[in-house]
Amino acid sequence: MTDRPVRIELAGLTKAYGGIRVVEELTFTAEPGTITAFLGPNGAGKTTAFRMLLGLVRPDAGRATIGGRRYADLPEPATEVGAVLETTGFHPARTGRNHLRTYCRMNGLALERADEVLDLVGLRDAARRAVRGYSLGMRQRLGLAHALLGDPRVLILDEPANGLDPEGIVWLRSLLRELAAHGRTILVSSHVLSEVQQLVDRAVIITGGRCVYEGALADLAGEPDGLEAAFIAKTSGRAIAP
Amino acid sequence: MKRLIAGEFSKLATTRLWCWLLIASMGISALYAGLNIGFADNTVTYSLATPQGQQTLFSVAASAAAPLAAVLGAIGLTGEFRHRTATATFLASPNRGRVVAAKFVTYGAVGAGYGVVSTAVVAALATTWLPAKGIEISLTGNGLPATMIGGVAAVAIYGLIGVGLGALLRDQVATVVGMLIYLYVVENIITGIPALSGWTIYLPGQAANALTGMALTTRDFLPAWHGGLLLAGYGIMFAVAGNYLTMRRDIA
Repeated sequence: MTDRPVRIELAGLTKAYGGIRVVEELTFTAEPGTITAFLGPNGAGKTTAFRMLLGLVRPDAGRATIGGRRYADLPEPATEVGAVLETTGFHPARTGRNHLRTYCRMNGLALERADEVLDLVGLRDAARRAVRGYSLGMRQRLGLAHALLGDPRVLILDEPANGLDPEGIVWLRSLLRELAAHGRTILVSSHVLSEVQQLVDRAVIITGGRCVYEGALADLAGEPDGLEAAFIAKTSGRAIAP
Repeated sequence: MKRLIAGEFSKLATTRLWCWLLIASMGISALYAGLNIGFADNTVTYSLATPQGQQTLFSVAASAAAPLAAVLGAIGLTGEFRHRTATATFLASPNRGRVVAAKFVTYGAVGAGYGVVSTAVVAALATTWLPAKGIEISLTGNGLPATMIGGVAAVAIYGLIGVGLGALLRDQVATVVGMLIYLYVVENIITGIPALSGWTIYLPGQAANALTGMALTTRDFLPAWHGGLLLAGYGIMFAVAGNYLTMRRDIA
């Protein structure tokens, strides 16, 4: 990883499926060296927004860039951006290690990186087992290992704490903090507030595909009834009762 | 592009499907060839002492290997969607056309490998069993080199067709089942209609037969070169159509 900071920018991003706008005029930025939470209830459009950011889904309007460039225009995407998406799959018969080595080859990375990231996520012992025998938490760790293969400056994580046990969540928190401390830009989505409350610096809250809050998490937590109430009020579109 | 091809070979080598299909191809080749030689004294097929008979015998390798190479290519492409590894693959290469092209190269090469191994099985049986029955056989005579090369080419191109059709349909079951039903049922029915014989020679299975010089029937075939080009054309057409029609769709 080099020191050049990379900002994530979404500007007016819009996507409709079958006439229903899943993401509407979504605009926000995620800054280098910080962990930004991307919050919203189920079906708020978080995953679709991530997929547009990564070039997997074509936006109807607007633009999403990473360091000023669209994902598809990055010359070496794996060394710039690592992503964990909820729907990322693994071939059930392939071992975790072979999965990572395959994508080392595809991304032009040294094969040794596979073992390094397996150690980093604590999957060394399961590395040579077929993924079909992995628990949900182990799959999350493998997904994270995959995202870290190219030692990217930007991490985009969709619900990375899903399936992790409490110990795993603590581990993930410290790993992400360390990664951000080295200047990385981290964008992490969640629908569980308590998961990210102790982790993130900034929060973007969306509901119905629209951004309803962007700013410091501390400001939101300072509201009268605390973070949880503020979140519910924002996402249900009602003002907070004094 | 080199990386993507290396990645495709790695995907293939780290699961066992290629191995099972290769064993199946060898087994079916041995079975076809064994039946052909074992019942060589009937009057229905050409005598194995004639060039046509020997060419037909050697063409069974391609008959066995080609559909399996096509299945492997189809699963190689559609498996990305079935197991949702397409996300990781398209993150590694946002240019999806390059992914399809890498699979084309990979499964073409693996198909050629299937063709070579299956042909070797038939050649081994023929060169040991036929002399024992008093029939002379030379691997360099009776037009056999052309049959063997044509057969290997046909199997390689079937691998491409599997990839191309998979890119067009994306659904694994639809691609594999549709392909096999077409090859074993639909095309046999259509080519059985005499009135259509003027254009059925342009169908994929018949184009493959043109390549191997398969002479089980008295039907006409295209010249081998034309058959090969036509067959490759089918694969490329499917892949290009798939690239524009389905591969660009959102990965949700």
